[in-house]
Amino acid sequence: MTKKLSLTPYLFLAPALTIIAVFILYPALAVFYYSFTDYNIVQAPKWVGFENYQNLVSDPIFWKALLNSFLYLIVTPILIVLSILLAIAVNRPLPGINAFRALYYVPVISGTIAVGIAWRWLFDYNGGLINGILVGVGILEQPVQWLADPALTLPIAMLLTIWIGLGYYMMVFLAGLQNISEDLYDAAAIDGCNAFQKHWYITIPGLRPQIVFIAVISSLAAIEVFNEIYILTGGLGGILNCGVTMVFYLWRQAFRLQHAGYASAIAMVLLLITLAFSIINIRLLERSGQSQ
Amino acid sequence: MQSQKSSRGIFSALLMLALGALVLAACGTPATPQVVKETVVSTVKETVVSTVKETVAVPQTVVAQQTVVVEPTAAPNPEAVIQGVEPNAEVTLWTFWLSPTFDDYIKSTIERFEQTYPGVKVKWEDHQATFQDDLKNSFAAGTAPDVINLSVGEGWVSDYASKGLLLPLDDKVPESVKDIYFPGLWNEQLVDGKNYQFPWYNFVGVELINTEIYRGKPVVDKDGNVTGYEGGAGLKIEDFPKTIDGLPALCKTIKDKTGAICDIRLTVNDLLAQMVYEGNVKILSEDGKKCTFDSPEGVAWLQMYVDMVKAGTVDKTILVSDQDRDALNLFLSGKAPFYQTGPNLIRIVRDQNPGLYGYLAVVPQPIGKSGVAGKGGMGISVKGDTKYPNAAIALAQFFTNPESMTEFSKIVPVYPSSPSAYDDPFFSAKPVAIEDSVKPAAKEYISKLADIVPTVPNKADVNQAVLDSVQEALFNNVPAQQALTAAAAKCTELINK
Repeated sequence: MTKKLSLTPYLFLAPALTIIAVFILYPALAVFYYSFTDYNIVQAPKWVGFENYQNLVSDPIFWKALLNSFLYLIVTPILIVLSILLAIAVNRPLPGINAFRALYYVPVISGTIAVGIAWRWLFDYNGGLINGILVGVGILEQPVQWLADPALTLPIAMLLTIWIGLGYYMMVFLAGLQNISEDLYDAAAIDGCNAFQKHWYITIPGLRPQIVFIAVISSLAAIEVFNEIYILTGGLGGILNCGVTMVFYLWRQAFRLQHAGYASAIAMVLLLITLAFSIINIRLLERSGQSQ
Repeated sequence: MQSQKSSRGIFSALLMLALGALVLAACGTPATPQVVKETVVSTVKETVVSTVKETVAVPQTVVAQQTVVVEPTAAPNPEAVIQGVEPNAEVTLWTFWLSPTFDDYIKSTIERFEQTYPGVKVKWEDHQATFQDDLKNSFAAGTAPDVINLSVGEGWVSDYASKGLLLPLDDKVPESVKDIYFPGLWNEQLVDGKNYQFPWYNFVGVELINTEIYRGKPVVDKDGNVTGYEGGAGLKIEDFPKTIDGLPALCKTIKDKTGAICDIRLTVNDLLAQMVYEGNVKILSEDGKKCTFDSPEGVAWLQMYVDMVKAGTVDKTILVSDQDRDALNLFLSGKAPFYQTGPNLIRIVRDQNPGLYGYLAVVPQPIGKSGVAGKGGMGISVKGDTKYPNAAIALAQFFTNPESMTEFSKIVPVYPSSPSAYDDPFFSAKPVAIEDSVKPAAKEYISKLADIVPTVPNKADVNQAVLDSVQEALFNNVPAQQALTAAAAKCTELINK
């Protein structure tokens, strides 16, 4: 018995595959090619073999960017913990709870650039809110130039990422929470569990698919961070390159210094890292799905 | 089971593709443009122009297009100074951040051009925050415009000319036409001794002073007379430093008396030019093979900024910000004592902080040790392989001729690059608004603008090396001499690459 090959599914897939081929596959292959060239965008690329990759190995800023990008992954567990706590907090039938849920979501829809600019003002030396409060209550004698401190640039950018993402991730967990049967909590109460034990043994396992999903998307977003760094550092990447991440460095090489070939090599390294993360995360996702 | 596995495989593949898309999104044209680059800053910081206030909130390119077809005119037009214009030529013009505020002006000038050169059609586009990206992409795609508005102050003309993308003009423009322009402006951004731009509009560098901080709030008696000032640094407007080296002491006084710190920005995209204008530093050896800015003059220039950082009298984030808009925003907030710009930006202060506008003072910008205020502002260049070189040259010249430039000056405080333009009574009329306060001195100021910075090969890489070293001195306690010596060594390596 032979199965008849049907063209129908392929026809349905064709538009999406065409778009992917044109806008994803072709650019990816082009970037791969450019990574072996000396290319300044406006003139024809010149083949240089592995020179860009060799230069990457001996480029201290690249290693700093790589380290900063990995450091940025700290935001992922923090985001998960905070957004679960927030979701639990707003998952109660309190008066006006919908308003709170909406308020927590406002940063998500405000856009990184707008929020980033607002944060610059928060941390501003001249009249910034943070300095105003700390000087006002006597913790500081004089205002501090927060964003000019190399040790603080990356943590402030991470805080910004967390603040922006919190509302979105909270909504995902909230949806997950509402899928957990109340019966489980009732049974736990009868067994003598306290509130913490209920969340530890029921809520957290119940949210596992959401946790894995958010771990995937937030770690990918963290490793590709750009906007926060660009806005907070005024396009510089931080004093003494303290806030330079992989994508920021890629941008600087491609569009500031016009080394599109070198930037392509950085992009390829980033692609490999992201793929590795994706594979790990997908495996976790699959395992999570099987355990459900 | 098998099908479950295979559907999971398909799902995984699709997810991987989606993740790949995320990565590529990160690798594609970035969101740079999200940071609105409204201003154009000259290499000496003093030439700042904002041409379109209304577009501040527009994060991406806004394209305005217009094609006007005009019937040929019979009589020769005195503005038709370029010969051999190709019949029925169609040329594309790109301007930088002029739409929509100046749409009427641009359109009417194009209309006049098409009447002057009958048969030629112009297609105009205005590009804004993404101008540079758009232009580079258009060159890469072979669709670059014939006539391009490029910043002289930012060094864009020499950037593109050194890549062979622009048309050298010296042998294509009659001497009588070259003579229309101030010589210093015609001979700017030379590459191998050749000029690639028609000088367009310029800015007079000024300092905007927040008098509430700088001088203090006026104390008014019951008759409305000002009897003194309180709460500020107690400084006199007329005592604002005339030279750059007066700034450190000024900033210290202001900080000591008011707590406010100075809103000063290094030209981080062209530090060598800043060294030349402000510190009179010789950046290259005579043969152009060695970088020499680690000289005593260079060290003195850098040490001035190092001392200001150590004294805590300058906003460090603004000092090394890539965006002049950051410095402007700080001034607009009313927290900065002064801000260097062009008078054309005063309207932004008026619109966005009318209170500050009410106590604004304007003084000439301090001059550096070179004695030269800076370069010109904007130029217009022609694409190297344009299909219609004469029509394109004619259009570039037309926009920069005295009549067109004078009309532009009447709309916004920018100043022509042609001496004869200043014969118009507009320039000798008594200033009414604070925006026009530099108008009487504009001709003399513009006539002295000159590009005194030698062309540096691999300029972007050299600048990045210098910027990294300058930051080491400013923020990491590396002695200025050591930082500049390291930068000069790297620079020498880069220019001989």
